[in-house]
Amino acid sequence: MIKVGKKIIPWREGMSVADLLNDLKDPYAYPVVKVNGKLVSRIDFEKTLIPDNSEVYLIPMVAGG
Amino acid sequence: MTEIKLREVKTLKYLRPTIERGYANQTLHVDLSTSEISIKPLEEKVKEIFVGGRGFCLWFLWNAVKGSTKWNDPENAICISSGPLGGTPIYPGSGKSIVTSISPTTGSVMDSNVGGYFGPYLKFSGFDALELRGKATGDVIILIDGISQKVQLFQAPELPDMAHEISHILTQHFAQGKPRNVSVVSTGPGAKHTLMGCLNFSWYDTGRGRARYKQAGRGGIGSVFSDKGIKALVSCWDKVTVKTNNPANEEELKKVAKMHSREIVELDPRQNDMARVGTTHLVEIMNDHDCLPVKNFRYGQDPRAPNLGQEVFRRIFDKGFDGCWIGCTVACSHGVKDFVPVTGPYKGKRVFVDGPEYETIAGCGSNLGIFDPYTVTEMNFYCDTYGLDTISVGTSMAFVMECFETGLINEKHTGGLDLSFGNRAGALELLHQMAAGRGFGRVVGRGVRQMKKIFAEEYGADPDAIQDIGMEAKGLEFSEYMTKESLAQQGGYGLTLKGPQHDEAWLIFLDMVHNYMPTFEQKAEALYWFPMFRTWFGLCGLCKLPWNDIVPEDNKDTKEPAKVIKHVKWYAEFFGAVTGRSVEPGDLITMSEAVYDFQRIFNLKMGFGTSEHDNIPYRAMGPVTVDEYESRRERYDKQLVEVYGVEINGKSTGEKLRLLRKIREQMYEKLKEAVYKRRGWNENGIPTLETVKRLRIDFPEVLEVLKAHGVEK
Repeated sequence: MIKVGKKIIPWREGMSVADLLNDLKDPYAYPVVKVNGKLVSRIDFEKTLIPDNSEVYLIPMVAGG
Repeated sequence: MTEIKLREVKTLKYLRPTIERGYANQTLHVDLSTSEISIKPLEEKVKEIFVGGRGFCLWFLWNAVKGSTKWNDPENAICISSGPLGGTPIYPGSGKSIVTSISPTTGSVMDSNVGGYFGPYLKFSGFDALELRGKATGDVIILIDGISQKVQLFQAPELPDMAHEISHILTQHFAQGKPRNVSVVSTGPGAKHTLMGCLNFSWYDTGRGRARYKQAGRGGIGSVFSDKGIKALVSCWDKVTVKTNNPANEEELKKVAKMHSREIVELDPRQNDMARVGTTHLVEIMNDHDCLPVKNFRYGQDPRAPNLGQEVFRRIFDKGFDGCWIGCTVACSHGVKDFVPVTGPYKGKRVFVDGPEYETIAGCGSNLGIFDPYTVTEMNFYCDTYGLDTISVGTSMAFVMECFETGLINEKHTGGLDLSFGNRAGALELLHQMAAGRGFGRVVGRGVRQMKKIFAEEYGADPDAIQDIGMEAKGLEFSEYMTKESLAQQGGYGLTLKGPQHDEAWLIFLDMVHNYMPTFEQKAEALYWFPMFRTWFGLCGLCKLPWNDIVPEDNKDTKEPAKVIKHVKWYAEFFGAVTGRSVEPGDLITMSEAVYDFQRIFNLKMGFGTSEHDNIPYRAMGPVTVDEYESRRERYDKQLVEVYGVEINGKSTGEKLRLLRKIREQMYEKLKEAVYKRRGWNENGIPTLETVKRLRIDFPEVLEVLKAHGVEK
């Protein structure tokens, strides 16, 4: 399973960040998420696989500069 | 302790006023030509309209200079002020100051914000603002000692030149056993020999037992400081508590401060982790989104960018508390301990480096094609201690490197220096030359706008090519974000008051990632609201990071996530609790707008401030070269066909490049029109009479400037 904030989401083989966001049905345009403390940008959501027992944090980033 | 010799020139003893609801209600004025020190009461109307900080600084500067004043004229002033909320130790990010002056590179009014203790200590010593005019003969320091209640002017002929040494020595000298009571403002030799000098504002790091500093970097105010003969400013104050600022409602202040502070402690480690990595988290995020400037803003991405990313600097930064103001829970001012430079006067010696932050990493790293964190750290150290702005240094060098690689200039011009992208030794040598005013460094130190002229007129370089790639607007070098794919951010840089610095509007993600503003009107609305709200931080003595860099988890579900309205409401409560002025979030925008438009009219007074001065180089809008187009061909082809309905079959890259350019330049002009309209300005970018009346800045001298530009009844 995967911990997303306070939620627990079932894990499956080959699950990517994009799959996770799809499962969560969260339409927000996250530019970046944190998987086990490592930042993953949107460009890599499809290709980044989430290991089982991961902790994911969705960063609601609106700023930078 | 190093002994220093100071010769007293003038002393003014005064009775320190009690701070009332965030204000000292008086200001300090020093004329360096006559050594006159005076204290003036703060007029209620000035307080009401200009609020504090940047507002006060602009008002005093406006009254000091004429439209014909140049940066190195004695009447040019340097004004420093924090603001009514500045110096609050329990609210995150409440120790900022603003500095204004007529800039050496833009010729117009410049504002630069900075952390460190000086501004709050100045206020607690009894002064809401400091105005410095005239020119001293010889090196002087000015002491504002709120503990002993005296202001002193000293001749200080034997102080060292380097800023980190000045900060250390003066902190020790005036500490009387309590170094945290001292803040020093200084610059270095680079400020004397270039037009891009910065000011270093110190804060005392109790944990590490050393004076550290933050920079008021933009626009060359350090060069004005040096030209005035000021070696340093020193402010002294004792213990700071929540009562020191004497807020109108201490309990309300504590309540709102606790909420914001706790939220940051809880969420920052999950979000950006700024308390450990500062703004370095942005490097890889910008790179991933094609927004990290690489090789003079040609590209937005490089596979080597992770070498400059947060995980590298997490290891390099010295661990410990790094808040540039007391009690800040963002605490992002990290530094590198025991760094050993490999070049320059400190080669082989252990030094402490304050930074690097994102801007320095991008400016002195990726934008120069340098992906070595230690070279960036060394550039950071020398820029600070030489008193040079890392952004202007980086962007100027990037321009020079592109000119060198494309043959617009050559080794004959650079004095034999190989300034190819990625040449670390070349970049460091050029930096040392700039600081010393020698060789090609003297030319680069003039900044991009003057280099364009020199390269075209004296070196025979193609003026059009140089105009396209020289990343300055209004005479100020661009800060370090790629804007090609965000029209809103092109406006965020071009439609600014002082030049392309992201502190007015950072809209890249809102535009590119979230697509919050697809229409011109929505972009114009963003280019109204965000610059106004960001201006408000500068009026009050606040850092903007706690507002929108760490955001509530439910922020994304709010009506307007980009504004982080929960925090805007907290700021309105914070303002009310300190000043006693009950305000709604919308009032914060109105109070900022008055100052913002006043600054626009100030530009007009100085001979700028119209539409033509809001233009930006094409490199900021789109691909200048065939190579740039080809590097993102799929994207540009798709836009031409799908968005603009252009038939591209059979067209060469050069033809497509020209078509795209025409479209993008038209879009920028259209954006300008929409923004001017939303801001209540005429088609030439000048505030209308109705606007200045609504904002209550219709002073006779303002109306006179407007009339001279055809804006009258």
